[in-house]
Amino acid sequence: MSQIPDDLGQKIKEAQSKSAPPPRPKEAHMSPEMQAALKAATDFSAAIVVGAFLGYWIDRWFGTSPYGIVIFIFLGFGAGILNLYRTQVAQNDKKK
Amino acid sequence: MQNPFEQFVIHPILSLHIGSYDLSFTQSALCMALAVALTTILMTVSVRSKSLVPGRWQNVAEMLYETVFGLTNDYLHDEGKKYFPFVFTLFMVVLMGNLIGLIPYSFTYTSHIVVTGALALFVFGLATLIGLWKHKLHFFSLFLPKGMPWLIIPLIIPIELISYLSRPISLSVRLCANMMIGHTMLKLIAGFCASLFLLGFGFKLLGLVPFFINTALMGLELMIAFIQAYVFAVLTCIYLKDAVELH
Repeated sequence: MSQIPDDLGQKIKEAQSKSAPPPRPKEAHMSPEMQAALKAATDFSAAIVVGAFLGYWIDRWFGTSPYGIVIFIFLGFGAGILNLYRTQVAQNDKKK
Repeated sequence: MQNPFEQFVIHPILSLHIGSYDLSFTQSALCMALAVALTTILMTVSVRSKSLVPGRWQNVAEMLYETVFGLTNDYLHDEGKKYFPFVFTLFMVVLMGNLIGLIPYSFTYTSHIVVTGALALFVFGLATLIGLWKHKLHFFSLFLPKGMPWLIIPLIIPIELISYLSRPISLSVRLCANMMIGHTMLKLIAGFCASLFLLGFGFKLLGLVPFFINTALMGLELMIAFIQAYVFAVLTCIYLKDAVELH
């Protein structure tokens, strides 16, 4: 039976500290840029759709056609920009 | 060539009509049931051995668990544990739907806006209710950012409201569109392959080109299946965070 050297435990510890796994990244394998790109397209268009929908029904209820839909499409556009802005701010905060 | 949208048609397996309602068990429902069964099996059987050094399947189960646990922890901090089961369930439903859809001759239920819309509306409704329950009427301060000059308040409230209402739409449309586009593309390119083979002789070799493109696309689709499920879980966490913390 081979002899066990005295400093075996020390050697194992050294080897382990050398090959310690790097700290796990928080985002699972996906670049934040790609996430943002996937999110931006639908976020922007969805707000305009909601704006148009609200405007259409306001016109139907109050008989204000076509002013409701015109104003609310613009508001939807604003909301779309706001969505994009929020996403971007969140991304920037994360990078810091 | 076959219609590339034909794959999204729902066929009943067991017909069931109650009154004027069609409650048939469809292939879509079958895939959902399969997703539930597979998830349950994966999360119970694979970790049964509870070994310290995980085997293949235990590793898969642990990775899925850790991914979602990391998410809820990052976004909801200490509250995360409360919402973890909900987010994890959603994540697995979407992930399994996307993955089962990639098996030939199966059906992708996440490519239907009805399914994704129902999931997104549920998340949206739940987040809103949690916000109202936690903060009562103070919840509506979500639509009025701090430090606004009073002049633009009448403009900012409808904009914030639209932005809030657009969440379930953007969430459901993104998932549904991604899955639908992917499957339509696979079908179209597979169609090219078949047509070229049928043309005969010189074209047969050319038919291999779309074949290899489709092989690569399949890998891409596999990645998209994971990314979309992940994005769905991330956004659920963000919406819950807004409701819980009222930034």
